[in-house]
Amino acid sequence: MKELEKTKRISIAGVISILVVLIAVLSYKKPKHLYVNNSKTTLETITTNNHFVALDALKGNDVVLVDVRNQFEFDKGHLENAINIYTPEILSDKNTSILNNLKNNNKTIILYGTTTNDVTVPFLLLTQLGYSNVKMATIKNSYYQNQLITINDTIEKPIADIKAFIDESIKKAATIEKPIPVKVVTPKKVITVEKKKKKPAEGGC
Amino acid sequence: MVNRKLAKVSSFRYTILAIIFVILAAGLVLLPKYVKHEGIDPAELLSKASSTERYISSDVLADKIINQDPSFILIDVRNEAEYEKYSLPNAINIPLKKLLDEDSIPYLNQSQYSVILYSNDNIYADQAWVICNRLNYKNLKVLKGGLNNWYNTIINPPSPTENMTNLDYELFNTRKAASMFFGVVYPEQIKADKPIVVKKAAPKKVITVEKKKKKPAEGGC
Amino acid sequence: MGPLIPNGVIPYEWSNIIAIIIGIAFGFILEASGFSSSRKLAGVFYGYDFAVLKVFFTAALVSLIGILYMDYLGYLDMSALYVHPTYLWGAIIGGAIMGVGFVAGGFCPGTALTSVAIGKIDAIIYVVGIMVGVFIFSELFTLFQPIYEGSFMGNITLMDSLGVNRYWFVFLFTALAIVIFKLSDMIRKRTKKIFY
Repeated sequence: MKELEKTKRISIAGVISILVVLIAVLSYKKPKHLYVNNSKTTLETITTNNHFVALDALKGNDVVLVDVRNQFEFDKGHLENAINIYTPEILSDKNTSILNNLKNNNKTIILYGTTTNDVTVPFLLLTQLGYSNVKMATIKNSYYQNQLITINDTIEKPIADIKAFIDESIKKAATIEKPIPVKVVTPKKVITVEKKKKKPAEGGC
Repeated sequence: MVNRKLAKVSSFRYTILAIIFVILAAGLVLLPKYVKHEGIDPAELLSKASSTERYISSDVLADKIINQDPSFILIDVRNEAEYEKYSLPNAINIPLKKLLDEDSIPYLNQSQYSVILYSNDNIYADQAWVICNRLNYKNLKVLKGGLNNWYNTIINPPSPTENMTNLDYELFNTRKAASMFFGVVYPEQIKADKPIVVKKAAPKKVITVEKKKKKPAEGGC
Repeated sequence: MGPLIPNGVIPYEWSNIIAIIIGIAFGFILEASGFSSSRKLAGVFYGYDFAVLKVFFTAALVSLIGILYMDYLGYLDMSALYVHPTYLWGAIIGGAIMGVGFVAGGFCPGTALTSVAIGKIDAIIYVVGIMVGVFIFSELFTLFQPIYEGSFMGNITLMDSLGVNRYWFVFLFTALAIVIFKLSDMIRKRTKKIFY
């Protein structure tokens, strides 16, 4: 009997460890949203495919417009036939089912907001979640006398040549009087970025 | 009586444990498989992206550059040609396409500096931000409005009109001073008969990435 | 969530303290389960005591299955775990040398230290032997270097090199362990009882 008492402890430890496993399994919640594309493929898709849609191409049978602005703005004025999905609520159950429905019906989802900037986040999120049918509308919305005005938005286009502007300003100043520009050279800075260490774990038995 | 029963069960204890092990191992085989998802939870990513904290305004950035704040690095996500043409002082060029290259990651995934991403607009920088944040890289920010806004506010600030408040005038003066720092020269500067200090864009920061060799771990029992 | 230290749940600076605590617990359990006796350890090779085999096999299985479950449920990121690099020939030769030392001395390095702690003379001599071995190795390191650093295969695991599904592998491994335990019990019954 004495031997048994000793092994009891082992059995108890065994039971406890199994309990821990069971609790872990039971307390597990399946994540609702899973990425379908990993970040590498996402980057590839967004840099190679054209996902911008201009204003005149927004119409069509297979196109569903999604307004990512909030309810208030949406009620104030929105494009024809648009549905409202506010960006922070894009992952809610209701919106997920709407989006899934659209995806299953092979519709193209075109997101638009106040400017193109607004739709970057929802677009990328949906792309990563596996909605390959999402596009961004490059339009700008504003109100004029409570009327929604929609115009094409230019994206990622430099509005001015900054270098040329600076040079120009120097030239303009120089025509007035010729000063001797004093060049100030700030000392060279050396920045070292440390690569994240992978901490080697030491093993042993 | 209880003891005897316990003894009976206990004599099978190893068999029981062995069976539990087999069941657990078989469970692993039989569990439905799913694709491991990489990075943080989409909902968490969304809430992070919805926060305006991730933007840095052009005024704050100009202030940081002028005061030579050492705690940040600038990353230009436009293509090389545009980067060559004009870039913010000390910016590093990582075109969006090369964002996840092996050479780029040490700049993005580190805790030493905060990283400020910019492009002509917000869009490419935002895209880079979302992808990096999904991978849980820390301390990333986006220059609000990108270089276009930079041009509109810092390089070529709009002169305040008569009916504007003092505050606007002050803001304009600060921005004008900032624009002088970044190389813009104003005619009245010469009228004041001051020597013009053309600030050359500071030389490129040399950022060396140390490639740590993995230390061989010692093991043994 | 996990692994705790690389993910910053526990600060990196704590790792040494945690290592010491785990080390003390490990030594205590080794001693408490009688592994500081060279007779018990050598019993594996003579067939009268298979406790060592069972304990280490079971420990490997528990952590293997536990880690896989934790990885499956998202509590642990398995790709962030450290995988020991494989130097094939170095491992084979080193393993063989250690095996010989194990049979001859009746200790493996960890248990030798626990025996030193309880004052066993044979263990003290064994540890001195280890030190001499370490000294010879480091003096002649240039000679051994090609073997020590040669045939490097990277940080691979058995599942990578065999190309099998890891879950099936674990299942087969568990089954194999139980078969081995049963076999070892049979062998133990056949060999003459030795009291130690």
